[in-house]
Amino acid sequence: MCVTGTRKNVAMTTLTPLSPLSVIDALRGDRSSRPAADTTSAAGLRARLEDGIYEILGDESPTSPLVVRASSLRQPSRTTDLSMSALARMRGVLVNQLLRLLCVGFRPDCTFDNALDAWRGDSGADDLLSQLDRLDDEERARLATDVTAHGLALSRALGDVPSRWMPRSALRASQRLGGGRVILRDVIDLMVGTNGCGSATVALFDVTTSPLSEGAERTMRYHALVETLRSSVVPLRTSTFSTATGELWTLDVDHGMLQRSADEVLAVVNDTWSSR
Amino acid sequence: MTTLTHRRHTSERLNELIASAPRGGACLTDDHRRALAARFRGVGATGHRRLDAWTVEHAGRRSGPFRWNPATTRRGIGNAALRRIASRPGLSTCDAIRDEITDQLLRAVAGYARGGSLASWLASAPPAVIALVSSEAQNWVTQTLEVTDRLDQPWSMAPSDAYYDVATARTTLRGRRDLVIGDGDARVLVRFRAGAPGKSAGPGLRADLIIETLAHPGGVAPSRIIGLWPEAGVSLCVDGTMADLRAGARDLVRTAVVQHRQSALKAA
Repeated sequence: MCVTGTRKNVAMTTLTPLSPLSVIDALRGDRSSRPAADTTSAAGLRARLEDGIYEILGDESPTSPLVVRASSLRQPSRTTDLSMSALARMRGVLVNQLLRLLCVGFRPDCTFDNALDAWRGDSGADDLLSQLDRLDDEERARLATDVTAHGLALSRALGDVPSRWMPRSALRASQRLGGGRVILRDVIDLMVGTNGCGSATVALFDVTTSPLSEGAERTMRYHALVETLRSSVVPLRTSTFSTATGELWTLDVDHGMLQRSADEVLAVVNDTWSSR
Repeated sequence: MTTLTHRRHTSERLNELIASAPRGGACLTDDHRRALAARFRGVGATGHRRLDAWTVEHAGRRSGPFRWNPATTRRGIGNAALRRIASRPGLSTCDAIRDEITDQLLRAVAGYARGGSLASWLASAPPAVIALVSSEAQNWVTQTLEVTDRLDQPWSMAPSDAYYDVATARTTLRGRRDLVIGDGDARVLVRFRAGAPGKSAGPGLRADLIIETLAHPGGVAPSRIIGLWPEAGVSLCVDGTMADLRAGARDLVRTAVVQHRQSALKAA
């Protein structure tokens, strides 16, 4: 029985082979509207963090440094998140490997196998990788299908990454604060642009296989903060893409956003220190 | 007194560090070389000893068995690609990396690559891993170009690392170097490092300094050696003074002693 009136049924979602605007185009934006590179904010942010850490820790020295990561900001430490299950983490790692391959123009013929080869070649012995090897056929097939679907969403959205935009993937950064008592660690999935010119051109890109939430926004700010502290230059924009929903969130980086992120980092330091 | 300067890494500060380097480093004579060889011979060795900044920084601890992976290939392939870009201006980073990887693969196919070499490993790696090798090299090349594009003074890629065989002491010293700024006796060396500098980063730089000086035909030390840690946004430097050279040599000998003791304990 048809419950929809004649000529009233239309497709809810339309997929076109090419996105009208790729993620890369959105990241780089309009070349003429880029602001001048901000090379002065980093010192103030560092001072704000140093002062805040001193207020929290005082003269006390933890036996091991307090480490803040992007995942520390994603969710309160006492909540359970299904996206942190082993299968979800495997999917996340594989999709990240896929991003690295796509950035150098590699066209995967079998998404799951290529991403898995890259993971094996990259890390050698790895707990998560050995868990993957122990999956039964059914779980493995489910993971392969999942990764292929997420990979397809990513490759469709990403578009070609021109090498003249200086793409760098899986970039690590670490910042010691409070005399080494607090360490900010970060891995940026993809960075395009360079700090070499007078205007802000660096765009940061993060990929997640989970739907976007408030935590993703905090993570975007954190990436911008750590990159500012690392390079002493404020990046142009920070963005995150969900391969689950196809959503892309992009924020232009300004001083207010970086200050907010510094406060969020201090809140994490405070929580971690008081729970010790 | 030894020198060790710590700065946040920005292009302006790097140019300042290069411009403010003392003119001309200290000079090692044949007597210095003979004295160092005697020290190494005095340590004793069970096999051929290889020392570098890494072993000095890790207090003589031997590294685990070496395994090629995309991260361990990035410096070799990245620097080779940068040399290609320097000799052929206009060549894109992507093409330079691809040409370098292709050359390595051709070497393996032609039978010139020995087992365990980068070329033979690449030849046996799946295409996805080779793409990951390109990605790592791309990171290395871009980070280096980001630095060199803003250098005020002429620079060149170091043709290779510095090696020095200590006469009759069964010891090979390896000093890593990436960029050479200026030339001759007034050269400044730059080394790119991963991660963040630890407490022994200074001794590591001094080890590179003394090895570079020993490998120099005239025994002339570079004016300054700068270690850049782009991931941490930090740079450290030491000057080519006699005090720093002596400290570097002492650290290398001390590392050899620790390694010898560890080998003796293992054998017992």
